[in-house]
Amino acid sequence: MDHDEETYLLLLLSDSNLPTGAFVASSGFESYLKHAVSPSPSTGESRTIDFLRDGLASYARTSLPFVSDTHRLVAEWMDTNAGGEEGNMVGVVGKLSELDKFYEAQTLNHVARRASRAQGAALLTLYARGFSRPASLVEYSDPDSQARVKHIARVVEHFKLQVRREDTPGHLPVCWGILTAALGLSLDRSQYLHLFLNARSILSASIRLNEIGPYNSQQILLHAVSKIIAVEKSKCQNLRTGFLEDSGVEFDETIHGPANTWPLGEILASRHDLQHSRIFNS
Amino acid sequence: MASKQTLPFGTGRIVVSTHASKSVFTELASTYPLKLLSPKVTLEGVAVAYILSYGGGLVGGDKVSLSVEVQDKAKLVLLSQGSTKVFKIRPGTRLASKGGDTTLTVQAMTYAVGPASTLVLLPDPVTCFRHASYNQIQKFDLDPTASLVLLDSITAGRQALGENWDFSRYYSMNQVRVEGRLVANDVLLLQDERGLSSGLHTRSLGDQLAPYSCYAMVVLYGPELEATIQDIAMQYDGLTVYQRKTAGDSIWSFSRVENEAAVVRVAGKETEMVRSLLKVVLRQLEHVVGPDIYRRAFS
Repeated sequence: MDHDEETYLLLLLSDSNLPTGAFVASSGFESYLKHAVSPSPSTGESRTIDFLRDGLASYARTSLPFVSDTHRLVAEWMDTNAGGEEGNMVGVVGKLSELDKFYEAQTLNHVARRASRAQGAALLTLYARGFSRPASLVEYSDPDSQARVKHIARVVEHFKLQVRREDTPGHLPVCWGILTAALGLSLDRSQYLHLFLNARSILSASIRLNEIGPYNSQQILLHAVSKIIAVEKSKCQNLRTGFLEDSGVEFDETIHGPANTWPLGEILASRHDLQHSRIFNS
Repeated sequence: MASKQTLPFGTGRIVVSTHASKSVFTELASTYPLKLLSPKVTLEGVAVAYILSYGGGLVGGDKVSLSVEVQDKAKLVLLSQGSTKVFKIRPGTRLASKGGDTTLTVQAMTYAVGPASTLVLLPDPVTCFRHASYNQIQKFDLDPTASLVLLDSITAGRQALGENWDFSRYYSMNQVRVEGRLVANDVLLLQDERGLSSGLHTRSLGDQLAPYSCYAMVVLYGPELEATIQDIAMQYDGLTVYQRKTAGDSIWSFSRVENEAAVVRVAGKETEMVRSLLKVVLRQLEHVVGPDIYRRAFS
């Protein structure tokens, strides 16, 4: 994929109108505000930035290992010959499902689990319905690219079927890794965009919660979020789940594995459903 | 009982099984700096052991490993006497006097809980002192009919000395498997990363974790805990959150993880507030371990 193609894909994926279900998620921010844990005095802007920093740091550390490993699996599958063995495909989907279940076992918070599954499922649907070639255009694409798309779609469709059967939970970071790899986005861009979208959805939530205005949100995106993402990405881009490592390779889970870094955020996010009135689902 | 000579430094081993409907220690051995003690009298047929360390704490470079087995429908309760203190260096010694990695302290524990057996782990919190660096890895291997309560908690440091989350690193992993299947993998990493912020004000661990100075996490699993989990769910469902003006002194959450498993998290402005809240939330545990042991664990 050349530079322009990748840029174009980034523009599509960062569209805030994409039906990914992010608009009903505040990632715990609504509950955070309700519990008044910020030091006083604080402003809507300071509360938003503080929450975003602590929340994104923890989310990057827990999710990027899963984005990376699933992206790697699907990218490897794409490099194998089109029309590869059925057995291989089942093997790849089996590994994706193992990673998915691993993420579930690590997400010990029913509210976060629910939000992550809903957004994961939305991404798989987006791939099938929003990124497939419209029927009227199929005949104009070359046979090679048609075969390639079919080859990739087999894995995504099979995984999606497992999610629908509830054989696997279909969590957001896993589905994000699958989607971006299937579209041919590089891992580096995929990681970056994943963090960006998480940050931006917190800012959107903050606007809806009347903490900041739309211009202020833009200011924060430009002057704070880019730095926050850069720091978190550099800390977490090489993390792994440990699940795909060969037994010979030394993998120290205490250094290279996923971890939650913000226990307060975890408690507040879990308490989301206890709020007497709420506008978000998480 | 295994002779202490066969165990390497900082190693402990506990095996509990059932004799005449009472839980008894078939093995209870440990080597410096780990110390395991059991009260002479068993209470209500439950085996109780205290996990201690010599000199009241662990230092950088200490590596402790403990392996625990609960078999034959036995019940084991593990407690500590006071918090587990982690120093960067042992008070009164010089940093250069030890070989190896002198900064990191590691505790690795493995627990196997057999059919219809119960393990209850209710230690006091870990307290990491200024600049300390600590890894704790606990792996639990359960039979599907086994039961488990695991409490893991941490404080902000020595408040009397003004410490407020001033350690370098705290890593705690609690991995629970049932018949090999991963049911819960709780990994908490608290690390001082003030050096990394760029272009924004520095944000310390203390800033992130304020206003609370003690955090606890509890995993509950298995048939013995069914009534306890139900009772916690009932207490939790009764809560309603309205817009607060200031943060509460303590706060807790409850999540069912699977049919038989649940997670409770607690934070409090003082260690004591976390303990007293846990004592209420986990009140049905009294029927699992008996009132005497329950009182000891939360006194």
